[in-house]
Amino acid sequence: MEFPAALFPSYFGAGPPREEGGPAPAAGWGEHGQVLEAGPGRRQAGTAFVPRRGGTGESWEPADAAAVPFLPPNAGCWVPSLAPQDILYRGVLRRKLRAGKSGAALDFAKQLGHFFVDHPEDAFGSLGRLLHKNFYLGNSKLRREARGSTIRMTALMEEIDRLEARRGCPRQHLASRLRWFSHLCRDWLFEVPLGLLADCVHEELLLQWAGLLFDDSPTGGALAWLPPEDMGARTGRLVYPGGQAMNHLYFQDVVLEELPRARGSPAQFELNGRIRQVAAARVDGEDFVGVRSDYHCGVWRVPGRTGAAPTALQVIRTCVPASCLTVSPHLPGELAVCTQSGAIYLWSVETGLQRLRHDPQTMFFRDPSSWRWSDFTAHPRVLSCADRTGLQCLDARAPERCHFDLFKVGEEAGCQQGERVVLPMYLGRAHPSQHLVTTQFSMYVLDERLPLVPVLKWAHMMKAPPLFAHLTPGGPGRSHKVLLGASPTQELLLLQYRGGSRSACQLAGPPQKLHSVAGCLQHLPAQLPHRHRLLQQRLGAPAAGLAAALQEDGPRESLLVFQLSEAGDVFCQRLTHKAAQPPAPTSGDEGTAAPGSSPLFDAPASSPPGLGSEDEEEEQTFYLSNLEVIINEEEEEEEEAGTPAAPEEAELPQEPCASPQPSPAVPSPAAALRYRRWLKALSKGCGEPPRHAWPPTLSQKRLFTRKELEAPAGASALHEQARQQLCQAMREGGRIQRWDPPAPQPPALPEPAEGPDPLSARLTAAWSGDWCQWWEERTSFNMAQRQRALRERRRRQKRARGRRSLSASFTSSLTYQSELSELSDGAPPPLSPGCPAALPREGSPPGGTPPASPAPHEEALLSSQSLRCRGIPKERRKTLRDYLAVWAEGPPEPPEPPGSQASQLCIPSSQSQLSSASQPRRKRPRMGF
Amino acid sequence: SSHEHKLNFKKSKEVCLSYIQDAMLQKQWKRAAEFLTFYAESLEKDFSTQYMGPSEMIWRIGTEILCHHSHSSMKEFNSFTEQMKTLGVKRYLKVCLEHAFHLLCNGLIDEAYQNLSLAESWRFGEQTAIQDKEMKLIQAYRGLLDYYSWSKQKTILLEHGQDGFEDLSVEQEMHSCFRKAAVNLKEIIKIPGVWDLFVKCYVDLLEFYGDHNEARQVLNEYAYNSKFPANPNAHVYLYQFLKRHGESKKSLISALKILHDIVPSHELMIDFNTMLQKSKKRKKRRLGLEVIFAALDYAGWKENVKAWSCLARQVKQIVISEKHLDWIKQEWNSRKDWWPAFHFSRYLAKRNWQENESLSYEKALVAGILLGKDCKYFKYVSHQGCKAQVKRFRILKKFVNKHNPVYLRISG
Repeated sequence: MEFPAALFPSYFGAGPPREEGGPAPAAGWGEHGQVLEAGPGRRQAGTAFVPRRGGTGESWEPADAAAVPFLPPNAGCWVPSLAPQDILYRGVLRRKLRAGKSGAALDFAKQLGHFFVDHPEDAFGSLGRLLHKNFYLGNSKLRREARGSTIRMTALMEEIDRLEARRGCPRQHLASRLRWFSHLCRDWLFEVPLGLLADCVHEELLLQWAGLLFDDSPTGGALAWLPPEDMGARTGRLVYPGGQAMNHLYFQDVVLEELPRARGSPAQFELNGRIRQVAAARVDGEDFVGVRSDYHCGVWRVPGRTGAAPTALQVIRTCVPASCLTVSPHLPGELAVCTQSGAIYLWSVETGLQRLRHDPQTMFFRDPSSWRWSDFTAHPRVLSCADRTGLQCLDARAPERCHFDLFKVGEEAGCQQGERVVLPMYLGRAHPSQHLVTTQFSMYVLDERLPLVPVLKWAHMMKAPPLFAHLTPGGPGRSHKVLLGASPTQELLLLQYRGGSRSACQLAGPPQKLHSVAGCLQHLPAQLPHRHRLLQQRLGAPAAGLAAALQEDGPRESLLVFQLSEAGDVFCQRLTHKAAQPPAPTSGDEGTAAPGSSPLFDAPASSPPGLGSEDEEEEQTFYLSNLEVIINEEEEEEEEAGTPAAPEEAELPQEPCASPQPSPAVPSPAAALRYRRWLKALSKGCGEPPRHAWPPTLSQKRLFTRKELEAPAGASALHEQARQQLCQAMREGGRIQRWDPPAPQPPALPEPAEGPDPLSARLTAAWSGDWCQWWEERTSFNMAQRQRALRERRRRQKRARGRRSLSASFTSSLTYQSELSELSDGAPPPLSPGCPAALPREGSPPGGTPPASPAPHEEALLSSQSLRCRGIPKERRKTLRDYLAVWAEGPPEPPEPPGSQASQLCIPSSQSQLSSASQPRRKRPRMGF
Repeated sequence: SSHEHKLNFKKSKEVCLSYIQDAMLQKQWKRAAEFLTFYAESLEKDFSTQYMGPSEMIWRIGTEILCHHSHSSMKEFNSFTEQMKTLGVKRYLKVCLEHAFHLLCNGLIDEAYQNLSLAESWRFGEQTAIQDKEMKLIQAYRGLLDYYSWSKQKTILLEHGQDGFEDLSVEQEMHSCFRKAAVNLKEIIKIPGVWDLFVKCYVDLLEFYGDHNEARQVLNEYAYNSKFPANPNAHVYLYQFLKRHGESKKSLISALKILHDIVPSHELMIDFNTMLQKSKKRKKRRLGLEVIFAALDYAGWKENVKAWSCLARQVKQIVISEKHLDWIKQEWNSRKDWWPAFHFSRYLAKRNWQENESLSYEKALVAGILLGKDCKYFKYVSHQGCKAQVKRFRILKKFVNKHNPVYLRISG
């Protein structure tokens, strides 16, 4: 425990911070801070000086072009967390509000409206029942005797509809009837007193908004790395949350190789809440893992030897959400817990909880935040406790009496005004008395032995406050590596510092930015636009944790950095120490399967509502019983005004002339393989949005802005045609089955009888992005083959029907039905209104007639004669017949030309065809009577 | 419109800055430098009233790039910095100071000295509080460099003095250096702060000229003024000064006692403990036990053989004399619930035995007395020691077995 013989000079003031300021983009550059004599005894031979910042550090180079997925994508569809546009005013009112003052306007009315629509029973239940008799909903006139006590609501509803239609019209006036009604019903109609409800909604909105501005619940991060017991071993453990609700805790064995690899299946625990934080520390060769969710904290013990199963030791429940859980690096089974009520506990697995402090007020000055943090110090009985205003150390044996201030947001540490503590961390593995404190502007290293004066300070320049930190201690003569991570921006910074015992603390080398998860998007195979957007959203999910593993492989040293996203995906990247040469990235770009598709092919019906281009258009949704009316407003004024609409998006530069990015290196083949696998697993897991039983209704304005629908200046003929077709389809409310222009048909080519040839089918599949699925179908079960087999069976049954009982044939047709519906590849059973296909036919006699023979014209179509005269070779005729027979039972529309399979893949039409195919068949048994 | 133009300009400025930042964070200094040349344009229309204007950013970024760029030279750095000095009045002193730091770190002491002298003579209107601080630092660093040249001349003089040759001009120059250094150093160490370097040099100057009272006063002020931070070094310097001048044990002990109070884990606590153990006064010996127990509370001392042998020796003494067992009992009381897990676990016994035999010996002795002969740590180590046929472990075993009743008295 040596103390540096001399520290860097610094002023020491007391009181509140004097320096004004805010986030300054370049504040961390170009300063040496102070200098100090390099070492004693060299004075005579010319004095050498060392800077506090700007010395040389170790060189750690990223080994790959981007972060690589480490585990398959987390199960289940990730529901993106709340976005500002969900609770802020959009539309006319926002513009009005924004003109007045800057700042966000919460859409209070909309939220309240949602409540009334979503929970009408809670909102108006009992009064609605009471008034039931007095509200008349019919169209006819009221009878005279009833007129005295009954209101005719229909007129009122019409009035409301009209009002909706006129929304946005500057001359809108409330109809007198409506005004009268609203005055009449103002106070007593609501079950929950309106004022109270409004207060609650408003409070909740403010909370949500505060959470959007800065969410401190993931502080500390939910990812932990348990290193192997001896450094030579290559198997460690990664502890991370997963599952749709992030409430499963996984302990995964990881083999450290060129790209780390998961070994075996992880040990899994299901917990009772979303996992916010995973903390780990090693004591006496055993790892203790603390897990924090909002109302529960648990501790697990993981024996050091590989393969040993983790055991849960204890769980505590808190009434107020816990904000911190740290594990003692000194004593086994000791943890520190803080709750948002301002309480700090020392939690020992053996002796239980000991409350050290309970103070809802912050320590050094008033701050509204209820966030508290606690960590361990060099003395096992002394805990640090933190709030937004600073850090104190308290002795657990006498917490009231024995404490000292370790860090204060104030002049003592040279803080700026408005600076707040974001994350404290004990750096015991680097030096027993060092602590890290990050704020939204700077990072500080503190020494317990010299409280209040940071031994190191550096403005980190990160866009979001660093919520995660990880320390990789360096051996003697080496620098300590600190990783800082931010949540919403996914920033990741590597810093190095040295010193603390013999020499004073110095920052070593410039800081280094590591790859973010979102950065790997450009290395993934090209996707269809809507998938690209989904992927972008998924990869851009806020970070939720950070861990790193040091791998020493002889002289080669590398640092593996793991990142966890809020969606539950774990990515990793490798940094190699300069002594080791990174493998030259080879150009193995096999990933690009499909070219970027034209916007015309972005099939309108297949992109789920809500993913439309919301940046350009605004939408307002009003609920009217079951009908969803979407009103779009294009924001053209916005563009004219020149104010950026969505700052994050707007600031992304799109100029092709500048070279903002150096041409990205290509990921290694192994990484490319991982990308492809990950993507495949992702599209399998939750690629397809749930299909609605009824055709989705979309307002056309949503899909295309008015500008887009305007005829462009030099549009090609094809463009023009497509446009016409589109307009026509919209007018008719139909679908576009094929995009290729019907008119200039090439001279009648001999139509390929048996589907498209494999190559074009494959290309078509690749075009629509389903290449992987196509391949699987191709290899395992060919759809057509299956159909053919079924058809074959059915024919055999038909032949045998004379010998069979009627009931048997009935059942066989039933099974056929269900099998056929199975064939519709994952689609839910067709639910065309009024005629569910798989419904048992009530009303039909148990021994219904056998399935009818194909309609005459189909018969003719399938006759070998007709096929021959179409020039179809003999060996193919049967296949074609089989193929056509599948569709033949449908309504008398001509069978799909095989060439249009592409459009089938884009538009989920096969389902509706199937369901319609079932329609006539249902009647057939009756027809037989 | 001009408004729109302004907005676009601001936007592109921000974008450019983000490119620079991105390049620098990826150590692409060349790319960053290219973008910086574009960013320099932002100086022309500096409408910002921001906390950090473009000129400061250009200074900071440019300096950083020049520090890391493979093709940059000191000449370029100097000319860049000179230009930056003219860019902002408010920042002049800061840029000067940083320039001097850069020169110092590159071994250009004389250039740095010139720079500092030049900055010192700079005057521009009324100084802000920050500028005042910066000026004081500039003076202090100049004083520090004066001190170094003084000490250089002192060495020359001393070497020559041995030859019986005296050089008046060297001596005169040395004295003038002393005066310049002393004035500036004295100024800065009056202001609250961490001034280890300056205090050390100033005390060295004073001691050389025999002004011990002034030196002692400076050190006392530095250590005990409550406006200064609780800097352990201040106490260390005072202790070392007292020791150099052969002060009484009592004053040494009182200096270390205060250090013990503020930093119980300081490395001087070993010296302190030895000093106290030798004392004839019971109270002091008692304090010695407290000091060593407190030091061993800290994680950093866990494997310190010296500290453990100090504790072992004192505990052994007490056990043999059978006097003052209550001292141990009192110290042990507040530790018995966590020391066993912290110091005396079976895992640690194994590891200590493998890595450091003498550490395990000292710890086993303490464990045997504090926790009895059935304690895991003692049992494991003594067993291993006897198995390895090491004599002292056998003696240790006998000793602990003999004095096992002590354990009962301590824990009871």
